[in-house]
Amino acid sequence: MAEREFVMADVADPPAAAPQREDATGSNGRRPPPPDRRARARWTRVLGLGAGAFGVWLLLFAPTLQHNAQVSPVGTRRTVSLDLVGPIAALSRSLQLSHLVSATGRSNRLPGGTEGLIAVGPAVHDSRNARQQEVPGATTTTTVPPNPKEPTAAAPLRVLIVGDSVGLDMGGPLQSDLASTGVVNAALDARESTGLTRPDYFNWPAELTSDMRTAQPQVVVVMIGANDAQDFLGPPDVPYGSPRWNGLYAQRVSQFMQIAGSSGALVVWVGMPPMQNPGLNAEMADVNTIDAQQAAQATPPVHFLSTDKSLGTAQGGYTAFVTDAGGQIVNVRTPDGTHLTPSGGQVAAQQVVAALQGLGYHIP
Amino acid sequence: MLFPTIDFAIFFAVAFTVNWLLNPYAGWWKLSMIGLSYVFYGWVGWSYCLLLLATTVVAFAGGQLVTIAPTQRGRRLAMAFSVAALLGILGWFKYYGFVSVNVDNVLHGVGMGQAVPLFQVGLPIAISFFTFMAISYVVDVYRGTLHPARPLDFAVYLSFFPHLLAGPIVRGGELLPQIRRRRDGDAIDYSRAFWLILAGLFKKVVISSYVASAIVTPVFTSPGQHSAPEAIFAAWGYAVQIYCDFSGYTDIAIGLALLLGFRFPINFNAPYTARNLQDFWRRWHMTLSRWLRDYLYIPLGGNAGSEAQTIRNIMITMVLGGLWHGAAWTFVIWGALQGVGQSVGHLRRLSRTRRGLPAVAEGPVRIWVQRVLTFQFVCLGWVFFNASSLSQAFAVLGRVFTGWGEASPLVTPLLALTVFGTLLAQFVPPISVSRLQASFSRQRTAIQVGFLGVALLGITTFGPVGVAPFIYYRF
Repeated sequence: MAEREFVMADVADPPAAAPQREDATGSNGRRPPPPDRRARARWTRVLGLGAGAFGVWLLLFAPTLQHNAQVSPVGTRRTVSLDLVGPIAALSRSLQLSHLVSATGRSNRLPGGTEGLIAVGPAVHDSRNARQQEVPGATTTTTVPPNPKEPTAAAPLRVLIVGDSVGLDMGGPLQSDLASTGVVNAALDARESTGLTRPDYFNWPAELTSDMRTAQPQVVVVMIGANDAQDFLGPPDVPYGSPRWNGLYAQRVSQFMQIAGSSGALVVWVGMPPMQNPGLNAEMADVNTIDAQQAAQATPPVHFLSTDKSLGTAQGGYTAFVTDAGGQIVNVRTPDGTHLTPSGGQVAAQQVVAALQGLGYHIP
Repeated sequence: MLFPTIDFAIFFAVAFTVNWLLNPYAGWWKLSMIGLSYVFYGWVGWSYCLLLLATTVVAFAGGQLVTIAPTQRGRRLAMAFSVAALLGILGWFKYYGFVSVNVDNVLHGVGMGQAVPLFQVGLPIAISFFTFMAISYVVDVYRGTLHPARPLDFAVYLSFFPHLLAGPIVRGGELLPQIRRRRDGDAIDYSRAFWLILAGLFKKVVISSYVASAIVTPVFTSPGQHSAPEAIFAAWGYAVQIYCDFSGYTDIAIGLALLLGFRFPINFNAPYTARNLQDFWRRWHMTLSRWLRDYLYIPLGGNAGSEAQTIRNIMITMVLGGLWHGAAWTFVIWGALQGVGQSVGHLRRLSRTRRGLPAVAEGPVRIWVQRVLTFQFVCLGWVFFNASSLSQAFAVLGRVFTGWGEASPLVTPLLALTVFGTLLAQFVPPISVSRLQASFSRQRTAIQVGFLGVALLGITTFGPVGVAPFIYYRF
């Protein structure tokens, strides 16, 4: 057989005599050259070292662990975590060790996602696009606010998109699509693992209020609710699915809609798509029902967009594959059966754009 | 179960203790390791354990059939059947959705409707890794380079939790002998193991997470809205992110294995110091590279045939290597880019050899130019690797040419320091790492405990809330 040169990947283990090294970041690479002066240890000593190090870390980090447990979903894991970490956190605080961590601002970190408001598209000027217009027959000029339904590059439509992780799946493509028109300034603030039932974890009403002040939107698109099917924390706790839970959740949705529409902005509320897990699907159907009811009762009305059929079957059931606007079959759901693929986000985004166009907004 | 979690820390404390307590009792040790590994794998979904079990049964049976077949033809058939079965399992879970959607769209385009039923098949974590290990076992037994393993040995080999989720892709010849013999519990190379684990955690939890959130995710989410410097830093940043993510995982895996008395093959070797693409693939995901070489490239003919055949073999190997990472056109393009790059390098070397040209002087300028160019080419590939679609990849690349003169608020001094610092760290003399490890091992126990505890605190303090799964879990 002819001798072969391993062109694509001649990566067999280096011969024993070959020099070996590690790269400085850790691994990787090659083992240190002899003589090896590192001491070896019996496994019981190694176990003791590891346990001791874990203990030191636990003592120093317990207050943060306790905080993380407090804001985690209600359930056995949360209860056990709080019971276990609570005494250690108390000890850490009494020894003043918690200052070491709090000095870093660690406990102030926010949930993953966009980690803040990201606005893209044509610049919005401080005058908020009011334009000077000469009124015939008048000797003075008057300021006329631009018509948001006829946006231009100089006076772009200001859109704010907020939501949870599913909202992020939709919001990313929507922001991109809107901004690429050149006449929309689209701001996105989406946070993973958030919702309206756990303000102790992430306070969406406060966040939206802040976003409204910053972005001064003319249209607000909301897609939130995937994490909301859980108990309200008390005391007393309000179990999910109880009549009191439904009433409280409706109040929170209504409050959120009021904040979104407070400056006269059009509010578009995008419903959760069908879910693969039957239990979660039923929960999201309940959430959607409350959202739709509150949207209809809101003043001025909130435009509720159901995604049951755009991201589901003709009957509104779960499917991973739909035919998009271009006639192509696309996979719209990630394997977890909950989130949207980029194609799924695009389908939902196109639905929002079409809805805005249907409401008279001239978005190219 | 993710490595950088408290769940895993508790799990490993139990596994470590069980490992050494049962070390003298081979049968019990193997059973306990299998049980622990299945608990580790089934933590996110017990149904996946059935798949791991099925793969174990198919590959083990394949090895036995290959061994007992009376003729060479029978051995070959047994091997081919086993490999086909293993690839069939992998293909169903990993590629059915991709293939069915594309076939249906083509058929739909020519008016033939949807002939292939569409199913969303959940992708089990790590299926590519343990399938490749299973295939290598069957083929090695067929080639006679490996004796068939005993059932429990093989089950430990395939499911051993330190390598299970994202490699390294350990060969039977490397791991099975270690499983068979008793390990020395009195001589654990703990300073190297702790160093690897801490370095891996730091790379994954701090560096990779920071770079991802600071530049990579924002730019890839909406490339059209970012400047050229931001697009360039996003590509460089992803090079850092995926290196820290994957090599971080490997560091932790190798470190954990060391604590259990096992040695795994190295998987990374300062890859961004590579001077050409061939060199890069000798340094990046080395256990996959050698797998592709030994079980795909060489069986295809390697470079034993004509130049055209060699180029064909390189392209097939790298495109399939790309597809191994995921069922998407972006991975196909990424693999094709690697193939084209390696083919061009091969042809250039061949051309010089044939023309009898003397070797080019290896000055530092030439070396650094080669490194920089190789890194840029690798980053070009990473853009496709990370993009969720081809249009997204081209949008990012397009901004490199069209996004000049715009503000670049995401390119901060801290980001630049992190990106360049991580890249330059690959050039730090390795002897210094070895000295650090030796120095650590000479310290008093209290100092060692304090150092490890504070190092852990630093990592968890500067990392984000919650840790994203390793990128390679989904492969």
